[in-house]
Amino acid sequence: MPSPGETDGRPAARVMRSPRSVDIEITARCNLRCRYCYFFDNPAVTYADLPTGEWLAFFEELGRLGVMTVTLAGGEPFMRRDLPTLIEGIVRNRMRFTLLSNGGLIDDDIAGLIARTRRCDYVQVSVDGSRPETHDACRGHGSFEGAMRGIRTLQRHGVNVAVRVTVHRYNLGDLEQTARFLLEELGLAGFSTNSAGYLGSCRLNGDGVQLNTADRQQAMVTLLRLAEKYPGRISAEAGPLAEARHWRRMEEARASGEPAFSNGGRLTACGCPDSTLAVRADGSIIPCSMLAHVALGRINRDALGQVWQHSPALNRLRQRRTIALEEFEFCAGCPYIPYCTGNCPGLAYTLTGQVDHPSPDACLWHYLADGGQLV
Amino acid sequence: MIAQNSIPIANPVVVLREEFDDWAILFNPDTAAAVGINPTGVAVWKLMDGRRSLGEIVGRMQDQFARVPETVFQEVSAYVATLTEGGFVGYELQEAG
Repeated sequence: MPSPGETDGRPAARVMRSPRSVDIEITARCNLRCRYCYFFDNPAVTYADLPTGEWLAFFEELGRLGVMTVTLAGGEPFMRRDLPTLIEGIVRNRMRFTLLSNGGLIDDDIAGLIARTRRCDYVQVSVDGSRPETHDACRGHGSFEGAMRGIRTLQRHGVNVAVRVTVHRYNLGDLEQTARFLLEELGLAGFSTNSAGYLGSCRLNGDGVQLNTADRQQAMVTLLRLAEKYPGRISAEAGPLAEARHWRRMEEARASGEPAFSNGGRLTACGCPDSTLAVRADGSIIPCSMLAHVALGRINRDALGQVWQHSPALNRLRQRRTIALEEFEFCAGCPYIPYCTGNCPGLAYTLTGQVDHPSPDACLWHYLADGGQLV
Repeated sequence: MIAQNSIPIANPVVVLREEFDDWAILFNPDTAAAVGINPTGVAVWKLMDGRRSLGEIVGRMQDQFARVPETVFQEVSAYVATLTEGGFVGYELQEAG
């Protein structure tokens, strides 16, 4: 009988024949050095780029496997001068794509090319404030102007633009104006939020950048108010808004003695290994960009379908959902266990050194113990 | 209903993603449309190669599968019509005259 972290490497449930989507860190280069970047300053990562031909060969493999979507991130994907060739390779292999960017290097030529493919779901541009003072605080001088230029260029060419706001100490007081600016002035349909997490460069700059308990509470209050003001237009899968919504639901369940949530009481939070893989800029296949140290193989050397189906490390990650929270000393005495999913394994690893552990970052019980209040 | 002699052609840009057992997803990357299909749907999809008429496809299904219902032509025809509406399938153009 396997105990936490000692699974036998077989999948816990049926695995589809190939991933539906693949997240690719297409370059390890970036024109910015954001203070909370999850990508840089990871000691487990080799920061090197692959030549065009390697990626094109990999895209052919993805096409053969029936992968539907690739996300190109980095680093900054628009750093690659061969980006048009790479995009053509994706399109040729019958896939759609998404780009994650800081916006600063997007010009008319590349925006026009993206639009003409008609295969781009969206380009996500990071915007952390309504004005340079708040946006540039963590992203560097001139980056706000670059993001705005990029967004307007994409809009001019009819490319779908998504915006991600990362909440940190320097933009906490600007969230109200940021929402107004993005939704009313720029005319975006919506935007998503998260917060600076203890990964990559943020581990080095965390004290000055990350939200403390009081900041987090303030962010939750503000974002809930804004979500009410702009119904359906502010989303979050992690960070203060997601936590505010989920923690409120957990407390309601606890207070009324509801039965356990169907995904509660075990490490179920991460569904990525069921549908997605990721690839580092150096070609290492990994489960997710948040688990960049878990190398599963290398592109164009190891067959991706084999890695997907048979990698012991990936199948152990899939079995993570069978691990009960009650087994962890960290959770001892917590009244929220039946409603808790253990949260992100990537943050669990950087904070505790263990993937098969609940993440302290999004722990309601510890938030309350630190003096935080539900909003 | 689609005529028996019409020749449906699977849109070559559409991806057949076989996922669990013989179940699959048809994904059109040009439109982002996706539809889940059962093993029978997969078999029909693989026969729509632009050479067989709908009648011939139904005939192959009757040869390949046991206990094929009497309504097989209507069912396959409805399935192909649904795929056609979604842009997953086209037809050979007949020359006039």
